Amino acid sequence: MGEFNFSIDLPVRSEWANVDLLRTSVQNCFTAVFSDIEGCRLLAMVTGELIENAIKYGDWSRSEDQRFHLRVWGEGRSAHVSVENPVQHDDENAEQVLETLGWMRRFPSAIDAYRAKLLEVAAADRDLGNSKLGLVRIAYEGNCTLTAELARGVLRVQAELTV
Amino acid sequence: MHGLVVGDLRIEAVEAVEDEASAAVQLLWKGKSNHRHPGEALAPYFREVLAIAAQKRVPLELHFEKLDHFNSSTISSIIQLIQDSRARSVKLVLVYDQALKWQKLSFDALRVFARDDLLELRSA
Repeated sequence: MGEFNFSIDLPVRSEWANVDLLRTSVQNCFTAVFSDIEGCRLLAMVTGELIENAIKYGDWSRSEDQRFHLRVWGEGRSAHVSVENPVQHDDENAEQVLETLGWMRRFPSAIDAYRAKLLEVAAADRDLGNSKLGLVRIAYEGNCTLTAELARGVLRVQAELTV
Repeated sequence: MHGLVVGDLRIEAVEAVEDEASAAVQLLWKGKSNHRHPGEALAPYFREVLAIAAQKRVPLELHFEKLDHFNSSTISSIIQLIQDSRARSVKLVLVYDQALKWQKLSFDALRVFARDDLLELRSA
Protein backbone atom coordinates (compact mmCIF):
# COMPACT_ATOMS: atom_id res chain seq x y z
CA MET A 1 0.00 0.00 0.00
CA GLY A 2 1.12 3.57 -0.51
CA GLU A 3 1.71 6.13 2.21
CA PHE A 4 -1.60 7.85 2.97
CA ASN A 5 -3.33 8.93 6.14
CA PHE A 6 -6.83 7.52 6.52
CA SER A 7 -9.42 7.00 9.23
CA ILE A 8 -12.79 5.33 9.69
CA ASP A 9 -14.56 5.63 13.03
CA LEU A 10 -17.98 4.03 13.43
CA PRO A 11 -20.41 3.02 16.17
CA VAL A 12 -21.89 -0.16 14.72
CA ARG A 13 -25.04 -2.09 15.63
CA SER A 14 -24.26 -5.53 16.99
CA GLU A 15 -25.88 -7.53 14.21
CA TRP A 16 -24.24 -10.42 12.43
CA ALA A 17 -25.07 -9.07 8.97
CA ASN A 18 -22.79 -6.13 9.74
CA VAL A 19 -19.71 -8.37 9.82
CA ASP A 20 -19.71 -8.86 6.09
CA LEU A 21 -21.03 -5.37 5.33
CA LEU A 22 -18.06 -3.84 7.14
CA ARG A 23 -15.50 -6.39 6.01
CA THR A 24 -16.37 -5.82 2.37
CA SER A 25 -16.67 -2.05 2.90
CA VAL A 26 -13.14 -1.90 4.29
CA GLN A 27 -11.91 -4.07 1.44
CA ASN A 28 -13.65 -1.98 -1.21
CA CYS A 29 -12.69 1.40 0.27
CA PHE A 30 -9.02 0.58 0.53
CA THR A 31 -8.89 -1.23 -2.79
CA ALA A 32 -10.20 2.00 -4.33
CA VAL A 33 -7.31 3.95 -2.78
CA PHE A 34 -4.40 1.52 -2.74
CA SER A 35 -2.98 -0.69 -5.46
CA ASP A 36 -2.14 -3.60 -3.13
CA ILE A 37 -5.36 -5.58 -3.49
CA GLU A 38 -4.09 -8.56 -1.48
CA GLY A 39 -3.03 -6.24 1.34
CA CYS A 40 -6.55 -4.75 1.37
CA ARG A 41 -8.04 -8.26 1.54
CA LEU A 42 -5.92 -9.03 4.61
CA LEU A 43 -6.91 -5.75 6.27
CA ALA A 44 -10.54 -6.69 5.59
CA MET A 45 -10.04 -10.18 7.03
CA VAL A 46 -8.56 -8.68 10.20
CA THR A 47 -11.55 -6.34 10.47
CA GLY A 48 -14.02 -9.19 9.96
CA GLU A 49 -12.48 -11.49 12.55
CA LEU A 50 -12.33 -8.74 15.20
CA ILE A 51 -15.96 -7.77 14.54
CA GLU A 52 -17.08 -11.41 14.73
CA ASN A 53 -15.48 -11.70 18.17
CA ALA A 54 -17.11 -8.47 19.37
CA ILE A 55 -20.58 -9.59 18.29
CA LYS A 56 -20.19 -13.15 19.57
CA TYR A 57 -18.71 -12.38 22.95
CA GLY A 58 -19.72 -8.81 23.80
CA ASP A 59 -22.18 -8.17 26.60
CA TRP A 60 -25.27 -6.99 24.75
CA SER A 61 -27.63 -7.33 27.73
CA ARG A 62 -27.05 -3.97 29.37
CA SER A 63 -28.26 -1.42 26.93
CA GLU A 64 -30.84 -0.93 24.25
CA ASP A 65 -28.20 0.79 22.15
CA GLN A 66 -26.27 -2.34 21.29
CA ARG A 67 -23.24 -1.06 19.45
CA PHE A 68 -19.56 -1.82 19.25
CA HIS A 69 -16.98 0.68 18.12
CA LEU A 70 -14.89 0.10 15.00
CA ARG A 71 -11.92 2.25 14.07
CA VAL A 72 -9.67 1.65 11.08
CA TRP A 73 -6.89 4.12 10.57
CA GLY A 74 -3.42 4.44 9.19
CA GLU A 75 -0.49 6.67 8.72
CA GLY A 76 2.69 6.11 6.79
CA ARG A 77 3.06 2.37 6.30
CA SER A 78 1.04 1.29 9.35
CA ALA A 79 -2.63 0.39 9.43
CA HIS A 80 -4.61 -0.17 12.60
CA VAL A 81 -7.93 -1.88 13.31
CA SER A 82 -9.51 -1.42 16.71
CA VAL A 83 -12.78 -2.91 17.96
CA GLU A 84 -14.30 -2.04 21.34
CA ASN A 85 -17.23 -3.88 22.88
CA PRO A 86 -18.85 -3.95 26.32
CA VAL A 87 -18.14 -6.97 28.50
CA GLN A 88 -19.53 -8.21 31.78
CA HIS A 89 -17.62 -7.86 35.05
CA ASP A 90 -15.11 -10.75 35.32
CA ASP A 91 -15.94 -11.71 31.75
CA GLU A 92 -14.42 -15.11 30.98
CA ASN A 93 -14.05 -14.43 27.26
CA ALA A 94 -12.23 -11.15 27.79
CA GLU A 95 -9.78 -12.93 30.08
CA GLN A 96 -9.32 -15.61 27.41
CA VAL A 97 -8.51 -12.95 24.82
CA LEU A 98 -5.77 -11.56 27.08
CA GLU A 99 -4.52 -15.08 27.82
CA THR A 100 -4.45 -15.95 24.12
CA LEU A 101 -2.32 -12.91 23.31
CA GLY A 102 0.09 -13.93 26.09
CA TRP A 103 0.08 -17.52 24.77
CA MET A 104 0.96 -16.30 21.27
CA ARG A 105 3.95 -14.36 22.55
CA ARG A 106 5.51 -17.61 23.76
CA PHE A 107 6.05 -18.73 20.15
CA PRO A 108 9.01 -17.62 18.03
CA SER A 109 6.70 -16.56 15.20
CA ALA A 110 3.04 -16.08 14.33
CA ILE A 111 3.05 -19.10 12.00
CA ASP A 112 4.29 -21.32 14.84
CA ALA A 113 1.48 -20.09 17.10
CA TYR A 114 -1.09 -20.56 14.33
CA ARG A 115 0.04 -24.12 13.59
CA ALA A 116 -0.16 -24.92 17.31
CA LYS A 117 -3.67 -23.46 17.47
CA LEU A 118 -4.77 -25.50 14.43
CA LEU A 119 -3.55 -28.67 16.16
CA GLU A 120 -5.34 -27.60 19.34
CA VAL A 121 -8.59 -27.13 17.42
CA ALA A 122 -8.15 -30.56 15.85
CA ALA A 123 -7.57 -32.15 19.26
CA ALA A 124 -10.68 -30.50 20.71
CA ASP A 125 -12.90 -33.10 19.01
CA ARG A 126 -16.37 -31.61 18.36
CA ASP A 127 -16.09 -28.66 20.73
CA LEU A 128 -15.05 -26.03 18.19
CA GLY A 129 -16.51 -22.96 19.87
CA ASN A 130 -14.49 -20.12 21.34
CA SER A 131 -11.09 -21.50 20.30
CA LYS A 132 -9.72 -18.00 19.63
CA LEU A 133 -8.53 -19.31 16.26
CA GLY A 134 -9.58 -16.01 14.69
CA LEU A 135 -7.20 -13.98 16.84
CA VAL A 136 -4.26 -16.24 16.05
CA ARG A 137 -5.22 -16.17 12.37
CA ILE A 138 -5.14 -12.37 12.42
CA ALA A 139 -1.61 -12.37 13.79
CA TYR A 140 -0.42 -14.90 11.20
CA GLU A 141 -2.26 -14.08 7.99
CA GLY A 142 -2.47 -10.35 8.68
CA ASN A 143 1.13 -10.23 9.92
CA CYS A 144 -0.25 -8.14 12.77
CA THR A 145 0.79 -7.10 16.20
CA LEU A 146 -2.21 -7.63 18.46
CA THR A 147 -2.89 -5.85 21.74
CA ALA A 148 -5.90 -5.89 24.05
CA GLU A 149 -7.03 -3.78 26.95
CA LEU A 150 -9.80 -4.39 29.44
CA ALA A 151 -10.95 -1.32 31.35
CA ARG A 152 -14.25 -0.06 32.83
CA GLY A 153 -16.33 -2.83 31.30
CA VAL A 154 -14.98 -2.39 27.78
CA LEU A 155 -12.69 -4.75 25.88
CA ARG A 156 -10.61 -3.16 23.16
CA VAL A 157 -8.68 -5.39 20.77
CA GLN A 158 -6.33 -3.66 18.36
CA ALA A 159 -4.32 -4.97 15.42
CA GLU A 160 -1.44 -3.12 13.82
CA LEU A 161 -0.38 -4.10 10.32
CA THR A 162 2.71 -3.01 8.49
CA VAL A 163 1.60 -2.39 4.94
CA MET B 1 -25.40 -35.80 -5.00
CA HIS B 2 -26.62 -32.39 -4.00
CA GLY B 3 -24.88 -29.14 -3.22
CA LEU B 4 -25.25 -26.83 -0.25
CA VAL B 5 -26.11 -23.18 0.23
CA VAL B 6 -25.29 -21.52 3.56
CA GLY B 7 -25.88 -17.78 3.44
CA ASP B 8 -23.39 -16.35 0.95
CA LEU B 9 -21.65 -19.69 0.46
CA ARG B 10 -22.58 -22.05 -2.34
CA ILE B 11 -21.03 -25.50 -2.65
CA GLU B 12 -21.59 -27.38 -5.89
CA ALA B 13 -21.09 -31.14 -5.82
CA VAL B 14 -19.65 -32.86 -8.88
CA GLU B 15 -18.71 -36.46 -9.50
CA ALA B 16 -15.58 -36.49 -11.64
CA VAL B 17 -15.42 -39.83 -13.45
CA GLU B 18 -13.22 -39.21 -16.54
CA ASP B 19 -11.03 -42.17 -15.72
CA GLU B 20 -10.42 -44.39 -12.74
CA ALA B 21 -7.25 -42.58 -11.68
CA SER B 22 -8.87 -39.15 -11.50
CA ALA B 23 -12.28 -40.21 -10.22
CA ALA B 24 -13.32 -38.11 -7.23
CA VAL B 25 -16.18 -36.48 -5.44
CA GLN B 26 -15.59 -32.76 -5.96
CA LEU B 27 -17.04 -29.92 -3.91
CA LEU B 28 -16.68 -26.53 -5.61
CA TRP B 29 -16.80 -23.67 -3.09
CA LYS B 30 -18.09 -20.31 -4.35
CA GLY B 31 -18.94 -16.99 -2.71
CA LYS B 32 -18.16 -16.30 0.94
CA SER B 33 -18.33 -18.53 4.00
CA ASN B 34 -19.22 -15.94 6.61
CA HIS B 35 -21.98 -17.65 8.60
CA ARG B 36 -21.92 -17.30 12.37
CA HIS B 37 -22.08 -21.08 12.87
CA PRO B 38 -21.02 -22.62 9.55
CA GLY B 39 -20.42 -26.01 11.18
CA GLU B 40 -24.14 -26.46 11.82
CA ALA B 41 -24.67 -26.85 8.07
CA LEU B 42 -21.22 -28.01 6.96
CA ALA B 43 -20.76 -30.87 9.44
CA PRO B 44 -23.81 -32.93 8.39
CA TYR B 45 -23.10 -32.16 4.72
CA PHE B 46 -19.49 -33.29 5.06
CA ARG B 47 -20.65 -36.52 6.75
CA GLU B 48 -22.92 -37.19 3.78
CA VAL B 49 -20.34 -36.59 1.05
CA LEU B 50 -17.68 -38.43 3.03
CA ALA B 51 -19.96 -41.47 3.16
CA ILE B 52 -20.45 -41.28 -0.62
CA ALA B 53 -16.70 -40.98 -1.26
CA ALA B 54 -16.05 -43.92 1.09
CA GLN B 55 -18.68 -46.04 -0.63
CA LYS B 56 -17.28 -45.25 -4.09
CA ARG B 57 -13.70 -45.59 -2.84
CA VAL B 58 -12.68 -42.30 -4.40
CA PRO B 59 -11.01 -39.18 -2.95
CA LEU B 60 -12.99 -36.20 -1.76
CA GLU B 61 -11.74 -32.98 -3.40
CA LEU B 62 -12.59 -29.55 -2.04
CA HIS B 63 -11.96 -26.73 -4.52
CA PHE B 64 -11.56 -23.27 -3.02
CA GLU B 65 -10.19 -21.42 -6.07
CA LYS B 66 -13.45 -19.52 -6.63
CA LEU B 67 -14.04 -18.72 -2.96
CA ASP B 68 -13.75 -15.05 -1.97
CA HIS B 69 -13.45 -15.43 1.80
CA PHE B 70 -13.92 -17.79 4.72
CA ASN B 71 -13.98 -17.00 8.41
CA SER B 72 -12.08 -18.84 11.12
CA SER B 73 -15.18 -20.82 12.10
CA THR B 74 -15.12 -22.30 8.60
CA ILE B 75 -11.47 -23.24 9.06
CA SER B 76 -12.50 -25.12 12.21
CA SER B 77 -15.07 -27.06 10.18
CA ILE B 78 -12.47 -27.94 7.54
CA ILE B 79 -10.12 -29.19 10.27
CA GLN B 80 -12.92 -31.41 11.53
CA LEU B 81 -13.37 -32.78 8.01
CA ILE B 82 -9.63 -33.52 7.83
CA GLN B 83 -9.96 -35.53 11.04
CA ASP B 84 -13.09 -37.36 9.91
CA SER B 85 -11.81 -38.24 6.44
CA ARG B 86 -8.62 -39.65 7.93
CA ALA B 87 -10.67 -41.70 10.41
CA ARG B 88 -12.62 -43.16 7.47
CA SER B 89 -9.48 -43.66 5.36
CA VAL B 90 -10.88 -41.43 2.63
CA LYS B 91 -8.28 -39.36 0.81
CA LEU B 92 -9.00 -35.64 1.13
CA VAL B 93 -7.61 -33.15 -1.40
CA LEU B 94 -7.78 -29.40 -0.75
CA VAL B 95 -7.27 -27.40 -3.95
CA TYR B 96 -6.57 -23.68 -3.67
CA ASP B 97 -5.25 -20.73 -5.69
CA GLN B 98 -1.80 -19.83 -4.46
CA ALA B 99 -1.88 -16.64 -6.51
CA LEU B 100 -4.35 -15.37 -3.92
CA LYS B 101 -2.27 -14.43 -0.91
CA TRP B 102 -5.01 -15.17 1.63
CA GLN B 103 -5.55 -18.65 0.20
CA LYS B 104 -1.82 -19.39 0.09
CA LEU B 105 -1.42 -18.33 3.73
CA SER B 106 -4.48 -20.27 4.92
CA PHE B 107 -3.74 -23.52 3.13
CA ASP B 108 0.02 -23.48 3.63
CA ALA B 109 -0.67 -23.51 7.36
CA LEU B 110 -3.02 -26.49 7.01
CA ARG B 111 -0.03 -28.54 5.80
CA VAL B 112 0.58 -29.17 9.48
CA PHE B 113 -2.03 -31.95 9.06
CA ALA B 114 -0.45 -33.43 5.90
CA ARG B 115 1.43 -36.24 7.55
CA ASP B 116 0.34 -39.08 5.25
CA ASP B 117 -1.16 -39.77 1.82
CA LEU B 118 -4.69 -39.25 3.12
CA LEU B 119 -4.39 -35.45 2.94
CA GLU B 120 -3.10 -33.56 -0.08
CA LEU B 121 -2.95 -29.78 -0.44
CA ARG B 122 -2.72 -28.86 -4.08
CA SER B 123 -2.24 -25.47 -5.67
CA ALA B 124 -4.35 -25.07 -8.78
